[in-house]
Amino acid sequence: MRVLIVEDDRKLAEFVMRGLRAERFAVDHAADGREGHGLLNTYAYDLLILDLMLPQLSGTELLRSARGSHPSLPILVLTARDATEDKVRQFEAGADDYLTKPFDFAELLVRIKALLRRMPVERAEVLRIADLELNRLTQQVRRDGQRIELTAKEYGVLEYLLSSPGRVFSRTMILEHVWDQSFEGVTNIVDVYVRYLRRKLDDPFALKLIHTVRGVGYCVRADEAHGDSTRG
Amino acid sequence: MNHRSLAFRLAVWYALLLSATFALVGTGMLLGLGQYLRSSLADSLQRRSTQVEQILAQAPAGVSDAAIAEAINSRVAPEFNNRFVRVTRLPASLVYRSGTPADRSFDALAVPALAPRSAPFRGIVQGGTAGHIQRLVLSATPMATASGRYLIELGSSLDSIEALQERLMRLLEMLLPALVICAAPAGYWLVNRALSPVDRLSQMAAQMSVQNLEARLPVVPSGDALQRLSIALNHLLTRLRDSVLSSRRFLADASHELRTPLTVIKGELQEINEHPKVPGEARDRIGSVLEEVARLEHLVAGLLVLSRLDAGEVQRECVDVDLAALATSTADQMRLLAEDRGVQLQSPVLPPVIVRGDRARLKQLIVNLLDNAIRCTPRGGVVTLQSVTAESRNVLEVRDTGMGIPPEALPHVFDRFFRVDAARSREDGGAGLGLSIVKSICIAHGAEIEVDTALGKGSCFRVKFPSIPAGPRLRLRDPGS
Repeated sequence: MRVLIVEDDRKLAEFVMRGLRAERFAVDHAADGREGHGLLNTYAYDLLILDLMLPQLSGTELLRSARGSHPSLPILVLTARDATEDKVRQFEAGADDYLTKPFDFAELLVRIKALLRRMPVERAEVLRIADLELNRLTQQVRRDGQRIELTAKEYGVLEYLLSSPGRVFSRTMILEHVWDQSFEGVTNIVDVYVRYLRRKLDDPFALKLIHTVRGVGYCVRADEAHGDSTRG
Repeated sequence: MNHRSLAFRLAVWYALLLSATFALVGTGMLLGLGQYLRSSLADSLQRRSTQVEQILAQAPAGVSDAAIAEAINSRVAPEFNNRFVRVTRLPASLVYRSGTPADRSFDALAVPALAPRSAPFRGIVQGGTAGHIQRLVLSATPMATASGRYLIELGSSLDSIEALQERLMRLLEMLLPALVICAAPAGYWLVNRALSPVDRLSQMAAQMSVQNLEARLPVVPSGDALQRLSIALNHLLTRLRDSVLSSRRFLADASHELRTPLTVIKGELQEINEHPKVPGEARDRIGSVLEEVARLEHLVAGLLVLSRLDAGEVQRECVDVDLAALATSTADQMRLLAEDRGVQLQSPVLPPVIVRGDRARLKQLIVNLLDNAIRCTPRGGVVTLQSVTAESRNVLEVRDTGMGIPPEALPHVFDRFFRVDAARSREDGGAGLGLSIVKSICIAHGAEIEVDTALGKGSCFRVKFPSIPAGPRLRLRDPGS
């Protein structure tokens, strides 16, 4: 899979490229719109990651021309959530997805994989890890065969964490997925819900499933391998 | 009425000056009239005196006193003309004395005799009985004729002149207060009328807000100080707009520029932390740095929200929203947060309260108010959220039983980065932007926000929304969506 990232901030581009290469993507980088335009018309890419604020040729212009010349190319737009966000909305037909800065790399990876349909969004009916079982149809959660009653938000948090076991979800990702943007800035609502979730899911059992990764967020894992997870 | 107002003071000065002028003119009139009447009376006495002189001069020697009296009575008719006439043949023999005048203004018999003299006399004599003093203007003219030397005295009562003066005086005394009573309100009205363009200017200036930076005052085309004032105010508004816009741009640019480096810092640190070879202690310290990054992120997000609200970019949608339902559903989402802090969150289910605005922003307003209330309330306290219609206005009320706001902090609670208790709330991770975002959302929705607070007992934040103008409902959305 070959990805082109058009981003004028060198460090941000390097960081994203390194992460993507670790995920075995082939990544090219263009630092401005004109270079991006050139690369796009030279090589065949599977995905375009585009910053909207670019020197030379603006991101929106590049988006328009790329959409014209490559109708089926998935395009992910990066934006700082300012007035251009509304422009992004106008270009939603042109961009397949957009992500606002500052973003988590994990979130970027989820979006990329979804766009590339390499990893279709997990819609398994039953999510399992160790002896924990979550049924998406009945919205029932069982551990060790015992039914555990969860509130709607607790269920939402758990379902999100279980959608990709082992991956760390940041508080912002959880907040935006389970709540909405109104709660951004409300200090510790995610922590409170995770604590209640733990009280119901982990406290009665020896094997702890929900782990805190300090400064990053939470993940669900069955092993006690690396991470030295601490209870927050 | 404001006793220090310009209009009041000008009206008082106006009334005082007008009264002084009137009093001066009145006094002058009174004196001048008296002078005129006296001199015309003296003239008339002089004429009569001349007539008597002619009678005496024409009388042949040895004429009888009765003939002289007859002539004076027929030609001068003193009683009929209310005049006093006395002719004395010098040294002291009375030839003629007029009788009681028609208007009975004096008693002829009581007029005192003048000392014999050779020079003419003109003046006022007093006489009469103890009970009735009469004053007369008397002119005495000595003359020598063929029939002997005579003293002709002619007089007239001053009563009528004095009565006239007195009546004029009474009239002026009545007119003066009436004039003041009329002049003061008239002056007040005039001054107010003259000041009304200034009043309109100040009213319009008071309605100016940072929400409408392009509004300007109408220029009063008077060519005087008023026109210069309105032009100067408009220049001031233009400079204010420029400065507000540049500070907004700075805020927007700053929060925008911070986002990319934040992404890099966060990403790099997270990547390092996921590396298996990183020792536990370092991992913990990086985690601590990441927590600070998260706080920076919140801060930047808050600043961005504010800068977008500043730019008037709120009303991305304008729909009718059921505030009561929105409040209840938001409270349900935050109940656990409150319980975690040992605070009871009450949000009674109430009948719909419809306000117009941007749903997401209204929700953010409720979330921030609740977050603030929950954080300010100690364990065991109660936070109550309700929306009601009071005095035809839709009101959202968030009441807590927290520590209250000290009076000196009250004017600043909506300021950016302001914290009542800096140390404590920084620990909580609050950036001090929540309430200023609330304030900005209120302004964008034309709502007013008030705070009632009692130190140690709690605070109550009340958001009063404007009533919705009559007309069709703007698509009312399901509050649960």
